[in-house]
Amino acid sequence: MQSQVPFISDILKCDSLSIVGLQKNTGKTECLKYVLQRLPLHEKRVAVTSIGIDGESTDQVTLTQKPEIVLRQGMYFGTSEAHYRQRRLVSELIDVSDESTSLGRVVTARALTQGKILLSGPSSTQGLRRWMRDMRRHDIDLVIIDGALSRLSLASPAVSQSMILATGAAYSINMSQLVQRTAFVVDLINIGVTSQDNIGKLAPLESGLWWIDTDGNLHEMPAATSLSQQVQFEGMEQCATLYVAGALVDSFLEKVRKNKQLRQVELVVRDFTKIFVTPQQLRLFQKTGGCLRVLQRSKLIAVTVNPTSPSGYVLDSAALCDKLSQAINLPVYDLLKDKTKEL
Amino acid sequence: MLKNVIESPCGLRFMLDGLDLQSGFARRWLLEMNMMTSASEIEASHDVTKRFVGFVRTIDRTHLTTLLFRLQGVKDIRTTIKNLRQQSTLDDIELFEVKHLAILSTQVAQLLAEHGMGDAARIPDLNDVITILDPDGLKMASFYIYDSYCAELQQLRKLMREQPQQQEELLVEAAEIEETVRRDLTLKLHSHVDAIESALVALATVDINLARARQVVEMQLCIPSISADGSSHYTAMFHPQVKAALARRGKAFQPVDIAFDTSPTLITGANMGGKTVVLKTITLCQLLFQFGFGVPASEACIAIKDEIYFCIGDEQSIERGLSSFAAEMKNIDAVIKASRTDRKILALIDEPARTTNPTEGTALVQALLKVLSSRHMSLVMTTHYDIEPGSAHCLRVKGFADGSMDYSLVEVAGGEVPHEALTIAHSLGIDHEWLDLARKELENSISEKTC
Repeated sequence: MQSQVPFISDILKCDSLSIVGLQKNTGKTECLKYVLQRLPLHEKRVAVTSIGIDGESTDQVTLTQKPEIVLRQGMYFGTSEAHYRQRRLVSELIDVSDESTSLGRVVTARALTQGKILLSGPSSTQGLRRWMRDMRRHDIDLVIIDGALSRLSLASPAVSQSMILATGAAYSINMSQLVQRTAFVVDLINIGVTSQDNIGKLAPLESGLWWIDTDGNLHEMPAATSLSQQVQFEGMEQCATLYVAGALVDSFLEKVRKNKQLRQVELVVRDFTKIFVTPQQLRLFQKTGGCLRVLQRSKLIAVTVNPTSPSGYVLDSAALCDKLSQAINLPVYDLLKDKTKEL
Repeated sequence: MLKNVIESPCGLRFMLDGLDLQSGFARRWLLEMNMMTSASEIEASHDVTKRFVGFVRTIDRTHLTTLLFRLQGVKDIRTTIKNLRQQSTLDDIELFEVKHLAILSTQVAQLLAEHGMGDAARIPDLNDVITILDPDGLKMASFYIYDSYCAELQQLRKLMREQPQQQEELLVEAAEIEETVRRDLTLKLHSHVDAIESALVALATVDINLARARQVVEMQLCIPSISADGSSHYTAMFHPQVKAALARRGKAFQPVDIAFDTSPTLITGANMGGKTVVLKTITLCQLLFQFGFGVPASEACIAIKDEIYFCIGDEQSIERGLSSFAAEMKNIDAVIKASRTDRKILALIDEPARTTNPTEGTALVQALLKVLSSRHMSLVMTTHYDIEPGSAHCLRVKGFADGSMDYSLVEVAGGEVPHEALTIAHSLGIDHEWLDLARKELENSISEKTC
């Protein structure tokens, strides 16, 4: 049994999981269904929600319905008032939050029978965090978040402890390109964590550019963000760690790379969702001895693939899993294929 | 309403921002409160506040935390209550809200009753409401159309669990029964709608009273008594916001005693003598008093007013496109117009006509004092102009002595204004060339006059 449900045991070690798709139709919903069907509910109290409707509004543009999720008896779920009224199961309301979305407030309920529900949870990351905090009051062991399309930010370790990444032919129908692009995202997710000492100093800093000298003293840089054109690195000969509290972009990374006194510097960002650099720039930076670290890291539990593109083009599932697995050094699953095998 | 005066330059916002309210509904309810103008209403409100002050001083930390935590759960369900009043069938979410409120109010009422505060909180008993929405007696703040409401429903749901493949049809069948149950519940709850509404208000009021009481303790405020003769007295009055700002700079606020009645009071005194702060504090105290809050003074006996006017001189009305002078004239004009009615008025006017030339300014202030002296109203006015006080009661800031400012107010016979501007400017380290020349000019003008 265990071999058929690969990463479930890893999920059970976490208190929160985001499921994120790199593109629409990469099988995110399939993955969510797969996980929900296999969680041992007698062991854990599980709550599931989605990040708002806004991220999924393209569904309404393309007129494809947002998929209904089948919940099992005993599962908790957070959805909007409007979707709650459309539920196709018997459920018990346990909370109505002040969190408002375009579809009404977010309500939390427990499924008393199995059945279908449309998920549309809090519409902001802060709202989601508040909802997750409330879930702790109801003794929920594990929160699962159905991530919105290309909204990697909610897979931030600041929101959820772990994540599953869904990729596939919809992201690119060129297999090697698909592998490369997915591998880059995985590399970012897996960037190592900086020292405890640095975390203690840098975690409270919400904005700006900061550096720590070789004696461990913290300094603020005059330029406000890494986006500004006039970043000055003067008087930073003793710089050991450079911290970008906001977004890390190509132009800044290039400036750091080209500055001789910053050759051996450790560049730190909050987490992988703050990195907006191209693979080329990152590779150049690392080649010249640069080192990139994060304050907080998400545990990447698995990568799933959907070899079928929306246009109907199908990649060789086994070859794709193999190639990607080699590139990222992690097991890769085609859940649809595995499911047919199971049956 | 409180929300209309919250931005008054007297510093009311600082006090309201400092209130530790637990629910957004309590804050909304507070802002929608009207200013109390009847003695019995104010007295009743202050009596409750006093009870709560005693309560927060004696209650242990754990019970207080539990109480505050419960109050955080209060939601604004006025729309639901309105629907219930109109007997439109409540849906599951609305029924949940009613049940949630009923359970919460019972819990809060019980906690308060245990501390002898039941009569001060006056939360209606909603046990009948709970019984309607909790047929299984689970006492849980969750809700659905329970199986026990209807045997047929119970049967359908049993089938659903046994034969999931038939769920869709069974759900449709169940939905009809559920709707009948909701209709039935709505009708049953309808007879309790007043109690439900009162409970919601009572919970917000407990929240507000607790926050007020804790503010009284933390800021060392007093619960004022109501003056019967139209005069107001304050002992050791202070302005909390100014006090806090001074404390941040390591300085202490010097409290001030002041009394005034229905004849005008004129305050003169040196620049930087705290005259404006006195007017701000009186305004603040009057508002706090009539909205049921503690007042920043060690003791206070305050007369109830129907209208309070605070005219602060340098308030420019950019929105209305008026200059500071025009804005000020309009504000004072409103005071004069109001003074012609029989409403009880308190007006606090800070240095009227300060922005115009001293000759006309003096004339305007002198005339204003004469006009308002003839009316039965409370007026406290500050000025730098030499005017004839008439029947006005004159107070003067003690002023600059031994290198420091004494902010206390002393009674003086006439309206003579002090000439301390140059001394104070000197103490501020202002340029000597300027000040020396000013002193010479002053001496010249005095000698000219005496000639």
